[in-house]
Parts: sequence; C-alpha cells; structure tokens
Amino acid sequence: MQPSTDLLGRPLTPVETELLDLYHRLKALLERDDLEPCARAAVRNALAALWNGVNDLALEHEQLIDLGV
Amino acid sequence: MAASECWNPKAETASRDELAALQLVKLRRLCEWAAARSPWYRESFRQAGFEPEQLKTLDDLRRIPMLTRDQWMASQAEAPPFGRLPVAGPEAAIRYHTTSGTTGREPLRALDSAKDWAWQAEMWCYGLWGFGVRPADVAYVAFGYGSFIGFWGLHYGLEKIGTLNIPGGAQTTESRVKQIVNFGATVVASTPTYALRLAQEAERLGIDLADSPVERLILSGEPAGSIPQTKGLIERLWGAKAGDTAGMTEIGTIMIFECSHQPGGTHIIEDHFIEEVVDPASGEPVGYGEQGERVVTSFGRGIMPLLRYRTADLVCKVPASRCTCGRSFDLYEGGILGRVDDMKLVRGTNVYPRAVEGVVREFPMVEEFQLLLTRDAAMLDRIALRVELPPDAGDDTWPEIRDALAKALAEAHEGLRFEVERAAPGELPRFELKARRTVDQRDQPIGA
Repeated sequence: MQPSTDLLGRPLTPVETELLDLYHRLKALLERDDLEPCARAAVRNALAALWNGVNDLALEHEQLIDLGV
Repeated sequence: MAASECWNPKAETASRDELAALQLVKLRRLCEWAAARSPWYRESFRQAGFEPEQLKTLDDLRRIPMLTRDQWMASQAEAPPFGRLPVAGPEAAIRYHTTSGTTGREPLRALDSAKDWAWQAEMWCYGLWGFGVRPADVAYVAFGYGSFIGFWGLHYGLEKIGTLNIPGGAQTTESRVKQIVNFGATVVASTPTYALRLAQEAERLGIDLADSPVERLILSGEPAGSIPQTKGLIERLWGAKAGDTAGMTEIGTIMIFECSHQPGGTHIIEDHFIEEVVDPASGEPVGYGEQGERVVTSFGRGIMPLLRYRTADLVCKVPASRCTCGRSFDLYEGGILGRVDDMKLVRGTNVYPRAVEGVVREFPMVEEFQLLLTRDAAMLDRIALRVELPPDAGDDTWPEIRDALAKALAEAHEGLRFEVERAAPGELPRFELKARRTVDQRDQPIGA
C-alpha cells in the first residue's frame, strides 16, 4: 500500500506520488532474480539516483544495502 | 528568494519546526539501523544504556554516546582495515577512500555503497547550485583524483547538475592554468591555497585571470575559504566570486556551503545532517554565537553510520536569519574557524594560524609563507614568519614589507614579537590539497 503522506505526515503531491511509486517499482525489480547483469546494473544505478530524490523530498528514508545499492 | 536558487526548495525553505521533525524521524531510523547492523554501535549503545526507542524529541540526541576519531582509529587497528563501524564488508561497497594523510597519521578508511556514493554527489549539488552553478557552466576541477576523497563528490555533483565537467587531474599547475583559459572554464574548484597558486602561475605566464570567463570558484579543504582577507585576495586575482564549502572523509562529502548571497558564513545542510556545537572540554552544548566544537550526525552514509562524531573543528553557529537568501538552514559564521587544537601558546599569547593568515593575506606580494615555532637554548619560545616573495621582487622592497608584516602581526597578537624572515624563491612547500603552514618544533631537542 503506497503511503499518501510524506515522512512528516504532509499529503503527497501528484508528482511526489509518482516519484515514490517509481522508487518502489525499482526496488521490486531489483528483488527479482531473472535480471540480466546489464539490466540489474541499470536498475541499481537508477535506484541509487532516485533514492536521493525521495530522500530529499522527505518521502522515504531507508537503507538499501540489502539490495546491493 | 526565487525557488530556483535552491537545489531542494522543499527542505531548504522548510520551517525550523519541520526541519527538526524531519531530523528526528531520520535520527530514529539511523539509530535503529546502526543498532541492528553495526558491531561498534551495538556495543556503544549497550554500554551507554541507550536504545533508539528513547528518542522522543531531538533533545534525546544527547543520550547517544559521542564518537571520537581516536575511537574510530582504535577500532580500525583492532579490526583492520575498516574497523567495527561498518554494517557490511567491502563486498557491499563500490568505493574505498581515505583521509588525506597530511598529518602523517595512519589514514582513516571509508567505504561507500552505490547509494552512499550517489548521496555524496547530491550534497555537493546543494552547495554548487546554491552558489549559482548551472548546467550552462563549464567547470574545471583542479584536483589530483586519488584515494583522498577531496573533490570526488563535487565531480559527480557537477555531472548530476548537467555542467560540462573538465577533470584537471595529473597536470602541472602551468597546464591547469592553460586548460582553464583554453577550455573557457566558468567555474573552478580547488583548495583556497591552490586557487592562489594558480593565480600566481597565471601571472608568471602573463595571463590575467580576471579577463578569463571564470565567474565562480568553489573552495574546499581548508578554512581559508572563509578567511575574509584570503577570500578577498582570491576574488581580486581571479575577478570572480569565491564560495566556501567544507566536508570531511568521515562523512564522505560536504555538510556546509556558502550560498550566492555570500553572507560571511556557510549554510548547514540540515535535512541531511544534525550539527551540534559543544564546549570542547565539557561536551555541553553552546548557544548561537558562541564558538565550540562541531559534532556531526550524518543521515546519508548507510554503510558506515556516523552518530555524534566529534570533529575537532572549531565553529560558531548563527541562525538562518543572518543570511538574506531565505533558506531556513542555520549557518556557521566564518565557516570552519580552525581546529580545536590548532591554537598555539607563545610566550603567554594565543596564536591562531587562521589569524596569522588573515594578516599575511593583506600583503599580496607574499607568495607563500610558513609559521615556524622553535625554542631557544634559554627555553624561550620563538615565533618566526618565513615568507616567500616573487622571484623578481627586488631586495629594496623587502625591508618595508618585513617591517609592515612584523608590525601588523604584533598588533594582532597583543604585541607579541614575530621574527619575519625572507625565504628563497621555491624554498617553502607548496600545497595542492590541505596546506600545512604551521611547523611547531618546540618539542624537538635543541640542535636537532
């Protein structure tokens, strides 16, 4: 279930909702075991980059080491 | 302030209450992470009787034990090479960096995961964007690109912004000056000392940097970026604005930056760090406007969590309202003022290297200098300023410069007499990274 507020309980804007959704989809992708190395690397880099966006906007704050990120 | 002046307007213009609430959320999560995964923090928390659930308000931060550099180094020695702070081994990391090693001590070793590394560039983006760097700029990074973390994060921050980035590694100073001019750089990143050296080299080559397209210098690595006289000299020689930043290997990136309003201080990136200022002796917090030691908690680096790390940096925090930019981030007035332990006591007078540099930079003829402390046979402390003038400076100019320097230094130090000596051209060391201009030989045997 996607949260509807940020870390401070403020409602998400439409673009924040979209960013957070994309972030969760990247995480889900990285948990799959059928990604080719080239695709896995691309998703890992994308997730590291997007983590900064959701972290800066106070949408999520977590560690990703268990996903190799 | 126009929103475009901020890299992250949502955080940079948040209310102080919102910032504090965000810091508390991140602090709880970081402590839970550290307690669950870091052998060092698990033990440290246990010894202190601290549990993350005790964090109800930001004031509860003080329940968390502080971490010192000595403890970190001891941990590295006990469990080489990275010690017991990391939550994972090097297999989880993509970068391995060290401190600069300019003190001659064993370097501190740091790891970064892919996310941590991307975050470091992100912190530089706050500073670069805040000082006015934009995608249309052409940036030259005068940095050696080695194992010292230095400007690595800036390099990737520039790429992230979309700036055309010229890595200036493995170059002579002459080559760098020529590249800066020939490639049309509008932004140059270097230490303050090296910005001066580049300017001296340009003058030797007959190049007037003030006529070049360079508009901004991003300074880091030394407190001199906020010493008004040094900064003023750099800005005059380059005909450009100079912005101070500061970071450290222990966090991997910068935690403070000067914005384009140049308020005489550096904003703290407070949605990513908690910066406490404490009395170095007691560890108790000091208020706005009082000098104390920086203690940093960083929310960015996950593989090596950093909670309440005593930096030994001397700072003076002032409220965000001191700057007209509209950011809600507090500032360090004058940037990093020095090190808690770099004050020298000479014949009963306190001498701070920063203050000496401030006086010396009033004399643009001085190309390089060194502060030398010795003890004579009668056990009397002696303080000498050794200065280097340009090779073509005539002997007739020296007595006037020497006497003026001695007078200005004495006036700034309760009448303390400095011996001012002229060094031969090229005799004094030059620095590309952190300058070390104070040499204290008072503990050495006489004649050694």
